[in-house]
Amino acid sequence: MALARAAGRAGAAAALALLWLLVCAPGDAGCHLLTVADLFDRVIRHSGRIHSLSTALYAELLGKSARKCHTSGMLTPNRKEYAQKIPREELTHLILKLLQAWKEPLSHFNQHIEHQELPDDSLSKAKQISNMVHELKTGVEKVTEKMQSMGIISNSLNGMASSEAAGLSISNEANMMSDSDFIHCFRRDSNKVQSYLKILKCRIMPENSC
Amino acid sequence: MKQKLRSSVQIILLFALTAVGLTGQSYPGKPKIIRCRSLEKETFSCWWKPGSDGGLPTNYTLFYSKDSEEKIYECPDYGMSGPNSCYFDKNHTNPWTTYNITVMAMNEIGSNSSDPQYVDVTSIVQPDAPVNLSLETKTSASTTYLLAKWSPPPLADVTSNSHVYRYELRLKPEEKEEWETVSVGVQTQYKVNRLQAGVKYVVQVRCVLDIGEWSEWSSERHIHIPNGESPPEKPTIIKCRSPEKETFTCWWKPGSDGGHPTNYTLLYSKEGEERVYECPDYKTAGPNSCYFDKKHTSFWTIYNITVKATNEIGSNVSDPLYVDVTYIVQTDPPVNVTLELKKTVNRKPYLVLTWSPPPLADVRSGWLTLDYELRLKPEEAEEWETIFVGQQTHYKMFSLNPGKKYIVQIHCKPDHHGSWSEWSLEKYIQIPTDFRIKDMVVWIIVGVLSSLICLVMSWTMVLKGYRMIAFILPPVPGPKIKGIDTHLLETGKSEELLSALGCHGFPPTSDCEELLIEYLEVEDSEDQQLMPSHDNGHPSKNAKMIAKETDSDSGRGSCDSPSLLSEKCRESRAILSTLQTQDIRDVQENNGRRHWETQCIASEQKILLFNNESTKSPIWPAAQLPDNQPPMFAYHSTVDVHKITLCTIDVNIAPVLVENEEQHQPQYPITETVHDNMEKHREVENLYSKTDQTTVQVKQNRPNDKSPFSKPKLMDYVEVHKVRQDEVAAVLLKHKENSGKIEKYTVPGTSKEYTKVSTVVDHNILVLMPDSRIQHIPVSQEPAMEMSQNLQQGQTEKNMSYCLTVPSECKRETSASEYMDPSSFIPAFK
Repeated sequence: MALARAAGRAGAAAALALLWLLVCAPGDAGCHLLTVADLFDRVIRHSGRIHSLSTALYAELLGKSARKCHTSGMLTPNRKEYAQKIPREELTHLILKLLQAWKEPLSHFNQHIEHQELPDDSLSKAKQISNMVHELKTGVEKVTEKMQSMGIISNSLNGMASSEAAGLSISNEANMMSDSDFIHCFRRDSNKVQSYLKILKCRIMPENSC
Repeated sequence: MKQKLRSSVQIILLFALTAVGLTGQSYPGKPKIIRCRSLEKETFSCWWKPGSDGGLPTNYTLFYSKDSEEKIYECPDYGMSGPNSCYFDKNHTNPWTTYNITVMAMNEIGSNSSDPQYVDVTSIVQPDAPVNLSLETKTSASTTYLLAKWSPPPLADVTSNSHVYRYELRLKPEEKEEWETVSVGVQTQYKVNRLQAGVKYVVQVRCVLDIGEWSEWSSERHIHIPNGESPPEKPTIIKCRSPEKETFTCWWKPGSDGGHPTNYTLLYSKEGEERVYECPDYKTAGPNSCYFDKKHTSFWTIYNITVKATNEIGSNVSDPLYVDVTYIVQTDPPVNVTLELKKTVNRKPYLVLTWSPPPLADVRSGWLTLDYELRLKPEEAEEWETIFVGQQTHYKMFSLNPGKKYIVQIHCKPDHHGSWSEWSLEKYIQIPTDFRIKDMVVWIIVGVLSSLICLVMSWTMVLKGYRMIAFILPPVPGPKIKGIDTHLLETGKSEELLSALGCHGFPPTSDCEELLIEYLEVEDSEDQQLMPSHDNGHPSKNAKMIAKETDSDSGRGSCDSPSLLSEKCRESRAILSTLQTQDIRDVQENNGRRHWETQCIASEQKILLFNNESTKSPIWPAAQLPDNQPPMFAYHSTVDVHKITLCTIDVNIAPVLVENEEQHQPQYPITETVHDNMEKHREVENLYSKTDQTTVQVKQNRPNDKSPFSKPKLMDYVEVHKVRQDEVAAVLLKHKENSGKIEKYTVPGTSKEYTKVSTVVDHNILVLMPDSRIQHIPVSQEPAMEMSQNLQQGQTEKNMSYCLTVPSECKRETSASEYMDPSSFIPAFK
């Protein structure tokens, strides 16, 4: 448990660091002007870490996953062409939606596995994942805001963002999943998020190491 | 000597060889004859294993002799049996002969021979293995048997097809160790009964000629003995792979077909869907595979894949494989791997690696991001050093071991998921050797070689002795006057000669009269310079030169040339007489303060009396002199000795000088160091400054002055050692033919040249006497003497010597002639 708490603290620290970098406005003195590309690189790396963590956790839980994920109902592009065709705003919205869909189930999952006989390592990973998803969502929102302020994407996103009701029902479904199914699905969606972020970045800034 | 030279050459060659050895080249290693073998007793081949090649291209030659004869033959055919072999065809093969075979390896440096091999053709016969073994199962009368067929081994020589082989066949169930061997006989097929149904057998055959050894076993053939009716075995899905995260392919391995033709079907279902699909494309990815194109590839979806094998009896389904395409991405290896050596500012080499992502991977869209990893090792090393590079497509490597050849490979994988690709093709790079090490080797070789050469040289020197030394260090040649042009001497234009010597002006200025050095004391002392050089070798040359001189204008020349001496002397006498009269006049004009006395003494000794009391020197205007040369000598003869002396070092005297004495003030450096010399000169200067227009100032040690006499060569004969303050300097020259020679010197062949001070007559008069002694070893105690001066002096002396040897008629006839002899003036004070 002590380990888990330590991991949690580390996650919180990482979150603060990310937030600080994201919150730092261009006008502030002593604050580096972060470009959209920088922000993208950060959220992409962050999502990559989340994915790695979930992969590790998935390996530890040793479950056979055949069950539908609670996010399977969301229509997400499942190959490159689709991801490239979908409007930027929509893709951004999809990313946020995916992250949002995991926010509540993740915290639920954390509470749930604390009562199980799991190694401390796995618990700390689960905790870290939960924190990092929260950070990632904040980060993506910041990037979105910045892109909107720069006119890279339109503001039509605001209307779409509030589908909390649907999210809740989805969350309930997620809560019913086994641990391994849960983490399997989360791992997949974290990979989706990372891939979409990369696609989005390369669509917006094709010259930037794409 | 020759021998020694040869041995030293050998040593050098040895060194050269050693140097070659350093580079790793040597004569080839010993080859070894591996085997000789006849396939059918009519021909045979021998193979050998080369030894080391010594780093050089090496040729191999096979020699053989037969026991029946002495002759040695070379291999008839190197090509037929492959590399490092020799083929003896029918014509070269005799079954009843023992062959003695050796192989010789040869390269530029040397050769090496194998041990001899004795070959009896009959004992080395071994056929090749039978070929074309085929197996089939047949069923007759409800029994299953195996029919094996094969062909005899093929022969190079078509005519040998008549050979009869005996065969053996062996077989075993696949999983067993022990073979069951069956003797077949001469047939080329065999029926095997009593086989276990449902078991897989392995079969091989071999053959033998009537003599010799059995061949190798033929290659294995497998056959499954069917067990009546059975469905195919369960296939196995090997793997699924997506090379670019857009499509993917799955492969499977079929099981046993159960003795019937079998079809394979790949079926898949996707996560969340009940429907089962069949593989869209069996062909694109080759046999036993299924290719899913872009349309059939979805990500973040699990595929449930099975393969079904079906034959007429039944079917069997593989275990399912669950695939999320996201996680089966394995790209091709990176391409365009380039290695480049660059140098840092410190000239340290570093390696720059660049590469490109695999061509199929679309990394620009962001859909697929690749991480790279490279590995490298020195060529001979076992372990790779692996470096994770990340997403960049270049890398710089420092601190590589110089002089080593590195192997570099790169592979890649999608970030965070998927598998590493295969390694790229091996790339090699030679890291240059540290230059210092190379240089060291070179310098060591150079050093050794050069020291060797030095040794040989010194050795030769010791042997050859002084001749060698004399050769290397030739004797120092006699001094030469740089300014003297022998051509000028030959043409006899002594003016040019003089000007060449730097004495441009003539007649000399009369300023010498103004000298206040009135008293000259001439000493024959050790300080005086004697010129040894002219004794050796030069006289003859000078003599010749002068003998050729026919210039009648030159009083000196006339005197110099014995043949013309009388004539010349007469001329010069004439001139001199005029001059003398002038002189006398001048003297008279000068209130008698100056006395010119030229006397021809009956005893053939001339005494020249110089009275330097007069502060005014006689003027010798150039206009009065028809020719510069004679007056010069006349002047020399008559002018005060001190003036001559003083002029000796002065180089530039123009005739103008005489006319403009006021402006031109010849200087008379007195180089003889006397205790009170300086004071004297100061006085002299002072005195001169007092004198009137014709006064010549004597300035001591001024090199830029102009003096009528630029003959440094004469300086040695008379030296003024003291100038007395009483302003009277007198030099009494007492000699037969030459005045002014106070120093003793030797001219070979003449005995009259030596003069010395005999007495001091009256006051202020030195009497110079010829020295009758033949040889005086000249001793020069003046180190400052210049070589050119020596030479000049030598020449002058030579000239004089000729004058000296001339009959005395000249001297008798005119006393003036004696004085005109330039040599009498040439001896001068330094």
